[in-house]
Amino acid sequence: MSSAIPTSTEKDALLRAGIDRSLRHPVMFFLTSGAAWLAVSIILGVISSAKVHSPGFLDSCSWLTYGRTQAAHLNALVYGWGFQAAFGVIIWLMSRLSRQECRAAGLILTAGHVWNFGISIGLIGILSGYSTGMPWMEFPVFAWPVMLFGYFAIVIWSFIQFKVRPDGPVYISQWYLMAAMIWFPWVFITANILLHIIPGNPVMAAGINAWYKSAIIFLFFTPVALGTAFYLTPKVTGRPIHSYSLAKLGFWSLAIVMPWAGMQKLTGAPIPYFLPYVGAAATVLFFIPAFTAAVNILRTAMASGDVVNNSPTLRFTMAGVIGLIVMGTAAVFLNLPGSTLRYSQFSLSGYGFEILSIYAFFSFVMFGAIYFIVPRITRREWLSRRLIKFHFFISIYGIVLIALVAIFGGIQQGVGQEEFNISWTDSALRAFPYAWAMTIAWCAILLSNFFFFMHLLVMWMRLGRRSSHPTLLISDHGHSPHGEEGDIDTGGPGTASAAAH
Amino acid sequence: MSFRTFFLSLSASFGVAWLAVVIVPYFKMRSLEPLSMGDDASGTNVVFIPKRAGRITEGAEVYAENGCYLCHTQLVRPTYAGNDMFRPDWGGFKYDDERGDSRRETNAYDFFGEDFAQIGVARMGPDLSNLGVRVVNAYAMDISPEDWLYRHLYNPRWKPERRDSACPSFRFLFDEKDIKGNPSDEALEFAGIHGGEITPTPDARALVSYLLSLKKDQPVPDSLNFSPPAAAPTPAPAALIPAPAVGKEGDAVKTDAAPSEATPAPAEVAPAP
Amino acid sequence: MSSPSPQSHQKPDLDESINVTKVHGRVERETAATLRERRIADNGHEPVSLWVIVACGIVLLIAGGVLGNAGTLFDYSNTFKEGYVRGRSPGAADEGPLPKPALAAFSARGAKIYSKCNGCHGADGKGDGANYPSLAGSKFVTGDTEILAMIILNGIQGPTSTGKTYGAGIMPPQGAGMSADDLAGVMTYVRNSFGNASGDVVTIEMAANALDISAARAKAGQSVTSEEIKAEHMKMLEGEPLDPATLVSPSTLAPAP
Repeated sequence: MSSAIPTSTEKDALLRAGIDRSLRHPVMFFLTSGAAWLAVSIILGVISSAKVHSPGFLDSCSWLTYGRTQAAHLNALVYGWGFQAAFGVIIWLMSRLSRQECRAAGLILTAGHVWNFGISIGLIGILSGYSTGMPWMEFPVFAWPVMLFGYFAIVIWSFIQFKVRPDGPVYISQWYLMAAMIWFPWVFITANILLHIIPGNPVMAAGINAWYKSAIIFLFFTPVALGTAFYLTPKVTGRPIHSYSLAKLGFWSLAIVMPWAGMQKLTGAPIPYFLPYVGAAATVLFFIPAFTAAVNILRTAMASGDVVNNSPTLRFTMAGVIGLIVMGTAAVFLNLPGSTLRYSQFSLSGYGFEILSIYAFFSFVMFGAIYFIVPRITRREWLSRRLIKFHFFISIYGIVLIALVAIFGGIQQGVGQEEFNISWTDSALRAFPYAWAMTIAWCAILLSNFFFFMHLLVMWMRLGRRSSHPTLLISDHGHSPHGEEGDIDTGGPGTASAAAH
Repeated sequence: MSFRTFFLSLSASFGVAWLAVVIVPYFKMRSLEPLSMGDDASGTNVVFIPKRAGRITEGAEVYAENGCYLCHTQLVRPTYAGNDMFRPDWGGFKYDDERGDSRRETNAYDFFGEDFAQIGVARMGPDLSNLGVRVVNAYAMDISPEDWLYRHLYNPRWKPERRDSACPSFRFLFDEKDIKGNPSDEALEFAGIHGGEITPTPDARALVSYLLSLKKDQPVPDSLNFSPPAAAPTPAPAALIPAPAVGKEGDAVKTDAAPSEATPAPAEVAPAP
Repeated sequence: MSSPSPQSHQKPDLDESINVTKVHGRVERETAATLRERRIADNGHEPVSLWVIVACGIVLLIAGGVLGNAGTLFDYSNTFKEGYVRGRSPGAADEGPLPKPALAAFSARGAKIYSKCNGCHGADGKGDGANYPSLAGSKFVTGDTEILAMIILNGIQGPTSTGKTYGAGIMPPQGAGMSADDLAGVMTYVRNSFGNASGDVVTIEMAANALDISAARAKAGQSVTSEEIKAEHMKMLEGEPLDPATLVSPSTLAPAP
């Protein structure tokens, strides 16, 4: 490997800085508001999880009954945090990769507020008792046109930027992000029209809903996270992607296989017999794009192991990619119709897998992206190395616990459910310890994200460090050769490009 | 790769799956052919429509709004997909007083009156497909079925054997007032947690009506009757060949396939006398 | 470094009068983060590791197996597996129906049998006042059990417990083919329904004794009369009493273990 890794020229840097500057308001809005929704969602998650093992907790308030808080928790996590983090990252990445400044920042910001407004009303709707009762689509019906309108207003600019990009090869991240941007409205419109407008067989409607849930995970969150990881890893390490053709193969295998997944949640239901099996096979096959992409990214990064250790961006991204491997393995393990599917179908495994995909994989990669993007668009560095480490480690502890619950606890619960000779009470008691584990895990994650949100808020207010030196996780000798952390303007001409990484 | 190629390939790969897994099955199942149950005593053709008595639509809304589907399922799976059919009281009753074994799997006609089948997400609590049957015949021995359900919704842990139930208390579906003079006619028999009298709200009434309508153990036509042939009499009515080939529910397929099947298909069972 | 950049039209401060070094320093600090970024080089051509191929191959086989069990693909008309027949319950032997309290179980059995008595005594057991006597409150019904057993098995001629004769004064015997279980059930039912509340259970043992007594009567085969009742049958049937709350199996009426 060549040691003379090319750094960018100043002209190029000014262009990119200009892009970052133009995007500051919409991107910071999405990331900060997303982090706020993440905190809200996790609070709701702690409450819901507590109600499973202690049903008397807060049970005098109708807004906090388990059926509503659990639905609100998931919808806030998906549409409040997941989508907004994705929007922030998408518009920044697409601008950078198309090398176009964002000229519609105000409009995107407004659309973001519209999206935020829509889901706020939707969440109040769920908690006050107007949920539609369709998993992941519980917002009252009026919310979805609002969300769709906001969505188009946000992403259309990225497509326009792509169209006017300078000549040159298109990078894999752009394919992943554009695919996600095309898949989501197709899936969203289909599900909402079929479930709210065109009446049909009620069981098949439940099937469409299950397909929708799977499509959001595999055809929106996964490609966004993969595109981001494929960008951040070579960007920070300077190494090329390990095998670019494997990356393209991974993308197309995701595109061809995953639209078939989802119906396995309805195994045994009176829908056409082959549908759940096709869904199960497709979910099992998710392992292939997941594993190949993960190996690709990990091999790229691990060649520069010390960079990964130092950089918050890469630590989170690699953790996310390992989460992807766990997710891919869980997808195989939990969805085998002959053996494990009957146990995982109606147990904590389903919820655990969803959290694995949204938090262990998607969110960690988004955190990595946030730690990368925010200093660039605010032109301030992160304030505290300790806060970043705290966020990282406590989140890891929490999500590992959730992964164990999902994979093992859910199966145990399912085994208890399938024991038809014992009374239901005895079967249900098996789930107890796993419910406790979930509550503890969510408390840990809440703690870590509370500090993350505070940190991000401070950065949004541009109170970060004014420095040309990045906030790294490990400083050599305990004393940075570039001056104390928190120093201001110690970088003069010619020192900014020192080989600190 | 140009954007055009990319977009066309993406549309093709997604579109095929979208058509095969979403659009085609949804539109095919919109119009299910009614299945014939044979003729009744007066010679008129009886059709299998498992209508349920009760305020199904309103009650299903209350059920959905309060997230009952997050802990309860409404799906009795066939034996190749789960052990639901082996439980004595989920698919019906194993020892029904009149019908013997009345259990059966959920079929596509079972959610008549609802827009969205609340198949359910997880099983913290038992399956509810036949809750109405269980409440009427097994749970509510000394009190009326409605009263039993009101009690359960108000405080799921009221019975000592249910003190570990994780079901939330739906007290907010009831109004509690201090007792002034005579108790009102609509008040329930048990006191609220503050000692007052309790009246169910319209939401509670709709929900209880819906829950009591959950009876999915009706006799089914032959094409949906999967009981093993050598076993005890399942109350299948006199077996006529069901409605011919336009059926979307596979009855025609099954009948045609029956002679070549190694395992006896229901159509080969001698008509029950 | 100091040459005017194409974007100089956006930066009017980059003309000769400005201290370029100072400004450049400022620009560098502000873009320090972007300056130190690497360029993405996307031309990695490492071969794919064998283990990755093996792992993906195994998963492909598993998925193929799953698809193999999918029956006929794209067959939209079958919502169940083709040729599906319910499996036998695996494992534990059949335990029978859930036990019920004896009073309820016996009464349930009796209620079914009573359906043939409906025609005369009415579904509410009140008769019709003229032709068929009421069972509610009747001393023959709620009194000693042997009385009721003889009446059911043999029929009765003449006046009833109230001294009144109903209709033609003949009740046909109902005992033909009646087993001890059935007799015990219908007696328990009648004695605890229609407003009667004797509160006790007529056991199968007692009913069997009744069958013996009935067969051993002097006038076996003929209906009983009030006189015969008063003379010979004013006693409870012999047998071990059964607590009405005992849990019994509804099908065998035997106490549950």
